[in-house]
Amino acid sequence: MSTTILFGLDGATFDVLDDLVARGVMPRLGRFMAEGARGTLMSTVPPLTPIAWSSLVTGRTPGHHGVTGFFQHASASGQALQIVSSRQLQAETIWSVASRQGVRALSLNFVVHQPPPRIDGAVIPGWVPWRWVKRFSHPPGIVERLGRELPSFDVRQLAMDFEQERRAIAGAPLDDHEAWIRLHVDRDRQWFDVFRHLLATERFGLAGVVFDGVDKLQHALWPYLDPDCAPQLGRREDQQTREACWKYFAQLDRFLGETVSLAGADSTIFIVSDHGFTGCRDILFINTWLEQHGYLAWKANVPVVAAAGRPGERLADLEPDFYELSAFDLSRTRAYALTSASNGIHIVVRGARSADGIAPEEYERFRSELVRKLLTECTDPATGQPLITAVTGRDEAFAGPYMALAPDLTLTLRDHGFVSVRRGQSILERRPAVVGTHHPDGVFVARGPGVRPGTSIAPVRLVDVMPTALYGAGLAIPEDIEGRVITEIFDMDYLRQRAVRRIGDLERVPVAAMATSAAQDAEILARMKALGYLE
Amino acid sequence: MATMTADAIRGDLLRIMRQLREDWDWSGEIDDHTGVFRDLGFESIDLIALGSMLEEHFNQTLPFAEFLTRAREERVEDITVGAMLAFLVENLARQDAQPA
Repeated sequence: MSTTILFGLDGATFDVLDDLVARGVMPRLGRFMAEGARGTLMSTVPPLTPIAWSSLVTGRTPGHHGVTGFFQHASASGQALQIVSSRQLQAETIWSVASRQGVRALSLNFVVHQPPPRIDGAVIPGWVPWRWVKRFSHPPGIVERLGRELPSFDVRQLAMDFEQERRAIAGAPLDDHEAWIRLHVDRDRQWFDVFRHLLATERFGLAGVVFDGVDKLQHALWPYLDPDCAPQLGRREDQQTREACWKYFAQLDRFLGETVSLAGADSTIFIVSDHGFTGCRDILFINTWLEQHGYLAWKANVPVVAAAGRPGERLADLEPDFYELSAFDLSRTRAYALTSASNGIHIVVRGARSADGIAPEEYERFRSELVRKLLTECTDPATGQPLITAVTGRDEAFAGPYMALAPDLTLTLRDHGFVSVRRGQSILERRPAVVGTHHPDGVFVARGPGVRPGTSIAPVRLVDVMPTALYGAGLAIPEDIEGRVITEIFDMDYLRQRAVRRIGDLERVPVAAMATSAAQDAEILARMKALGYLE
Repeated sequence: MATMTADAIRGDLLRIMRQLREDWDWSGEIDDHTGVFRDLGFESIDLIALGSMLEEHFNQTLPFAEFLTRAREERVEDITVGAMLAFLVENLARQDAQPA
């Protein structure tokens, strides 16, 4: 039986991968791309991990899958916020679509998969602290089984260290570059060991794994990976850090080689990323800009972030935090940014989430005016250059039944950075050095039966990956998704022999219901026993 | 979901926490006074994960982010199992009271 594989590289960009192939760091990737088809994989707006991976695994746009950020409103009304989990993912994943067509699926390290969907197969979600990996994995007993069967298995190494992640993503200086790289070399090795072991010992028709060290290294160490920065890094210790980064990618290259061997020649493998990467230096204090323009009032106890001290200390204080939930005096605020990474602005509309704010009938005029000012008046004090290059309304970025959960506006900054939601002394600070940030252009590479070798295709969307992978696996595709099969990667003979098949949603089982279905639990229990998970 | 009494919610919460204790090889007793940071060695992210688990268990959306923010604003040094219980009782009751 062949296995269709999603080989996920969180945050991968051709800017880095092509350079590493040219340097000989990733020869297997070079061969893979030569034997397959490649193109830019366009991310969501904003290009943010939970939103983007959710679109990739569901084939649905964000307004249809319901995930709008790391933190999001719990409902269309009220102030309550939620930390995103699979309970907010309102669309069926590729794993359960395959599962209900009789194909077992394996999902490793995908975000927004906790608590896990009860598929026929196995799920170990990503972005889960080590204490919770066992409880949030499916089927029950899989983590204990891995502990018994894999001598190298270490759940603490597999799981995420969130404090370190937060510092690195925020651009705070790292104490030790090589330790950061080693952490991700070891963690990705854990995920690959699990992936290889489960593929070797069980039968899966569809398997996916995400290596998120790509994103983490690029956030913290972008100058060492960006070919454009290389000429500026001439010190011996710079070269050592670059070579340590290359070792991380060389390991990924070996993982890819082993995956190709393990899957066999009749399997289709997709290398995909949720977004790309680039460098940034701006820190835009968007709430401070909103305050200066009369849109926002801070609560009295919210401090202005420190602007004194040594560069490292100062930077740590100035950097974006993930969220500030209650920093604003909503009775005097009409627009605010709630979370850093979403780059979203919420408009306070009377009767929606608050008794205060603008009147509902003023909304369109107010929003148009705010967009105009953001694009023309939010400028670099030194040069007058606009800091914001695009403002996307939620009726575009989040069109669909869950639009009301999303920010009203999503900002794209001139260097693609994340806004800071803190109270700054000025609207703009510059980091002393470039850090990595998300870019909309990710990677798509496919190789397998019927895939035209050496093909470059026009940019495709994240939502196209799910139907294309299902098609590659010989499975039917849900009718109601926004994605399409990327037919241009396949040769005509292959397409003629295999029509794209559709399935309706008559048998659809909502994710939340799947997690609580007693009948399905019983069926899974029986299968787990058969597989040796339970005695 | 049928209305749960405070005692039933307390029973569920303690049972979940004791199951987790076994996962983490922690041997101390868990009661209303147990502090999740001081006694269980939680980090903030562990509370978020616990929130997801409790939502799953009670099959209801809970404003856990607000709970954590309020604790931070009030400079609470630790979050006890008793405080989590009060949060659950308040919010599960509130959702039960909403019209269908």
